[in-house]
Amino acid sequence: MDIILGIRLKESTLFATSKAFTRGISVLKATDDKTIDLNTHNMMAYTGESGDTTQFAEHIKANVQLFGLREGYDMESSEIASFVRNQLATSLRSRKPYQVQVLIGGANNEGEGFLSMIDYLGTRCDLPYAAHGYAAFYTMSLLDHHYKDDISLDDGLRLLKLCEEELTKRMPMDFKGLNVKIVDKEGIRTIDF
Amino acid sequence: MSRRYDSRTTIFSPEGRLYQVEYALEAINHAGTAIGIMAKDGIAIVAERKVTSKLLEQDSSAEKMYILNENTLCGVAGMTADAGILINYIRESSQEYLKIYNKEPPLEHIVKHVCNLKQGYTQYGGLRPFGVSFLFAGYDDRFGFQLYTSNPSGNYSGWKATSIGANNSSAQTILKQEYKDDLDLEDAKKLALKVLSKTTDSTKLTSEKVEFSTVSLASNGHVQLKIWKPEEIDKLLQESGVLEDTEEDK
Amino acid sequence: MSGYDSALSIFSPDGHVFQVEYALEAVKRGTCAVGVKGADSVVLACERRTTLKLQDPRITPTKINKIDYHIQLAFAGLNADARVLIDKARVEAQSHKLTLEDSVSVEYLTKYVAGVQQRYTQSGGTRPFGISTLIAGFDENDKVPKLYQTEPSGIFSAWKAQSIGRSSKTVREFLEKNYPTEELLDEAGTIKLAIQGLLEVVQTGAKNIEISVMKPGAAPRALTNEEIEKIVKEIEEEKAAEAEKKKPRTTE
Repeated sequence: MDIILGIRLKESTLFATSKAFTRGISVLKATDDKTIDLNTHNMMAYTGESGDTTQFAEHIKANVQLFGLREGYDMESSEIASFVRNQLATSLRSRKPYQVQVLIGGANNEGEGFLSMIDYLGTRCDLPYAAHGYAAFYTMSLLDHHYKDDISLDDGLRLLKLCEEELTKRMPMDFKGLNVKIVDKEGIRTIDF
Repeated sequence: MSRRYDSRTTIFSPEGRLYQVEYALEAINHAGTAIGIMAKDGIAIVAERKVTSKLLEQDSSAEKMYILNENTLCGVAGMTADAGILINYIRESSQEYLKIYNKEPPLEHIVKHVCNLKQGYTQYGGLRPFGVSFLFAGYDDRFGFQLYTSNPSGNYSGWKATSIGANNSSAQTILKQEYKDDLDLEDAKKLALKVLSKTTDSTKLTSEKVEFSTVSLASNGHVQLKIWKPEEIDKLLQESGVLEDTEEDK
Repeated sequence: MSGYDSALSIFSPDGHVFQVEYALEAVKRGTCAVGVKGADSVVLACERRTTLKLQDPRITPTKINKIDYHIQLAFAGLNADARVLIDKARVEAQSHKLTLEDSVSVEYLTKYVAGVQQRYTQSGGTRPFGISTLIAGFDENDKVPKLYQTEPSGIFSAWKAQSIGRSSKTVREFLEKNYPTEELLDEAGTIKLAIQGLLEVVQTGAKNIEISVMKPGAAPRALTNEEIEKIVKEIEEEKAAEAEKKKPRTTE
């Protein structure tokens, strides 16, 4: 019941992930971070089978970093999304596939926001806003209604607040609040939310 | 004399040299010339095809120019059979890259990749190095037009204009004199033919002896790779005025 | 020389492994590289083969390469061998981080590179790597500069300042004579000493030098041609002044 949410803005991408680390019906920790920095301008939020998630995220990060050193330039958002999709699609056809869903976001070379959603089946879709799992049920209508193409950062954050309120109201469990991060041409930062 | 160091897999000689690699380089120095010139709006590559017999069927397919992927082509000097293996390797790995990243590989990536394979053959794999040098010409988002050479040792380097194969040093000298940074593709094409005509042993250039290719950008921004047809080459030779020049010289 | 220097790297009766010794000759034929450790910085400087007029400086490979975001490697010897070894080191650096969470230490990476080089002197059907390397950088959360060297045999060693490649002996002698103590070398001093060392063998001056400075917690910085030129000029002026002083006074 993790919340993994992403909103693409004009010059940045916002991520919101739930802080609760759960196992069965118990919350083990209230300060979990379900995102990973892949390089200076790209990050990934992930959910799925616990264990698989971390393993997969670290595997992707190592490869993105290696790419940067080998090629002399950082992997771009769209390249990362293709690479991750390829890895999940390959894994799906192996003996023990990763059960992981991710959102990949960043600022591309032109300084525009980028957001891509990929599931464990290797389905990829580049979107203005996206969510995995239950969170999607409760937030899509809000996002559909309020999202505009050239939405500002403040409006983006306001929209996230609405989503959080709705989630708090509807979700059967306490997800311990949201971890909000922004990635733009300056890099990746946590936002007080 | 130095048989001890050249009869087996590639090993160091007492002076720290790799004779097998040097011999491969030597073999290429006798192969048909290939010249590449980078202009601000494209790249021209010209190569000399050696016609061995009148009886040999002159089919129109290029022997020394190959398209590698959407953004890159190459000219070859040396053993064409070896080249075939490497070209296949590049084509396959280009597609592999495209499959993973959904993007054509950067030019340097494929050059490095094939050079790593070449290096392997000077250190462990196989009995001899690959006997080919390449001119790689292409375009990518990061550096725009680029021209590279690679040789049997597995080294590569980037150039504005260069040549491989027979007479490459004299070609290099002319290029050094005549190359200017603001050349456009038309100039580069003419210069390439001129340098070839001045360095070649054959008396008159014809489409039977010349292969030609260009890299440029179409008006929609797409990369255009073109291996020229014999008729087009003949026409180009006429227009460039190289034919008259050579006759005057003689 | 009676078959003991052939395909495999094996011992000769008098205890030589010829292929390894010959590989060292290949290193000596390579362009010179210098590493100097200062108080809080470490510098790698390389002789750059004369860039020919028609070479494209944007895309010609450099001799100083990043292995990880905090470690750099300079080499002398066969370029293609170096590229392959560098790639192995890069993979190891990330793989190490993946399994152990921490970035590689400079020492670990050096041991790894040396280990690979050693393996190629002892396993069948391969020749040794024809390169020596200088590996420089900082460990994570540490401010102590590190500088190591590896050789074709697989030997590795730590240095305050060291040179490899063509005429490296001359440079080393210079460094031995002129290296003060680490504490005395600030960033500018370290850069200067590295360039001075290199200038012992590079006659053509600034345009044939490439140099990179590393400081703790910061990305390595390659000096621009102008910066190098300025320092070279400074050194040359000092040298001239020195020579002037030494000149015996004429009739006075």
